[in-house]
Amino acid sequence: MATSGQLMFARRLGPPARLLIWFLIGVSCVVVDVRYHALDGLRSGFSMLLQPVREAMRAPSDVAAELGGFFTRHRLLQQERDVLLAERAQLRVSVNAAKELVRENAELRTLLQLQARPGQQAVQAALLYQGHDWFAQRITLDQGGGAGLRSGLPVVDAAGLVGQVSRVYPGSSEVTLVSSPEQLTPVFVERTGQRGLAAGSGHGQLELRYMPAQTDVRPGDRLLTSGIDRVYPAGIPVARVSRVSRSQSSPYLRVECLPLAGLDRSRAVLVLIAEPQVTTR
Amino acid sequence: MNVATRKAGSWRRILGSLALAVLLEQLPWAGWALALRPDFVLVGVLFWTLHQPARIGFATAFFLGLLADFQDGAVFGQHAIAYVIGVYLVLFLRLRLLQFDPSRQAAQLFPILLTVQLGVLLVGWLAVNPPTSLAVLLPVMSSTVLWFLVALFVRLWHGKSLLDQA
Repeated sequence: MATSGQLMFARRLGPPARLLIWFLIGVSCVVVDVRYHALDGLRSGFSMLLQPVREAMRAPSDVAAELGGFFTRHRLLQQERDVLLAERAQLRVSVNAAKELVRENAELRTLLQLQARPGQQAVQAALLYQGHDWFAQRITLDQGGGAGLRSGLPVVDAAGLVGQVSRVYPGSSEVTLVSSPEQLTPVFVERTGQRGLAAGSGHGQLELRYMPAQTDVRPGDRLLTSGIDRVYPAGIPVARVSRVSRSQSSPYLRVECLPLAGLDRSRAVLVLIAEPQVTTR
Repeated sequence: MNVATRKAGSWRRILGSLALAVLLEQLPWAGWALALRPDFVLVGVLFWTLHQPARIGFATAFFLGLLADFQDGAVFGQHAIAYVIGVYLVLFLRLRLLQFDPSRQAAQLFPILLTVQLGVLLVGWLAVNPPTSLAVLLPVMSSTVLWFLVALFVRLWHGKSLLDQA
């Protein structure tokens, strides 16, 4: 017989029942998040919680970099300075030329009554965190809605297009990289002007889709954003064609490209914000 | 040592180790280190489920799974479901797992960790995209090694009996 203080029946549910309950909660979470995007508040909460932690955990590598920089040789710095000075002189010349072209372009556009191109404003951001999601490639930046970022803005580094802002939190934001699967970028081939769609293929690569078999594409060609989607400004370098092959079964060429931007290397990037009078989607 | 202080100490140890696991995942991992990074939080949760099943179980695993989903930018529920399955498997095999020494315990944990990771893969596959590669299975190895190290450390530090009273 059961004495007082000893239960005859277990009050707690057994593990299989609890597994089932939590499993159902999990499935409903997935459905609510994928179908209705109703859990963005929870994401913002987590981001507020983890933001200071991530900034603190970035400190050890920053300190190591500082120490490494401290012991850089004087001679090396001088060499680097000379190179940079030469580069600056060259850039000055091209800036003057570009200014002249901008003025001329504006005049021609008014003559032709074309719409003015959207102006650009750039926000500097640094890499905060990289998670491993195996279904899309994303990085987290340390600038968010507070700096004027919106979902859909292009992100570039010195070498080319990095990706597109996909989620914005108050103090941080997530960027989907151009090499992420199913991430589409409208591009044109610099040498021929042929337009096309570059899609991420995972593994840090892109492929140029739907190029008919007689198209003139060669390894080494650069791909630039075409700007016809009104999301990316025209002329940002995206990728370089690495291999072109023709398959027997498909009417299209198989064009593999390597991204130009340092997707897994660059730590400082720029987010381009179009000026508000232009409607971007 | 009376029961109350031992309980408090135990809670402190559990929460401290789980917080440490979350902190370790916030380090700026990149490249190969990122691909091979063991799932610290999962190992922590399963370890305490094994040794303190009255305190750490489904609810903790689910919440930390949501946290893992956030930090990977994945769909909410992807890791949560997988972690909960892992907790169930550990509870199911608990008495068996407790009998083994660290290396054999780690070997027995390997299929459980593999199942958890396959759960992550499956949910992501159904909800978002097909995965791009099987690199998703790399952390299983490193998590197994991490489990071995943790179990070995605990065994050397406390002896066999202390943790297994719950």
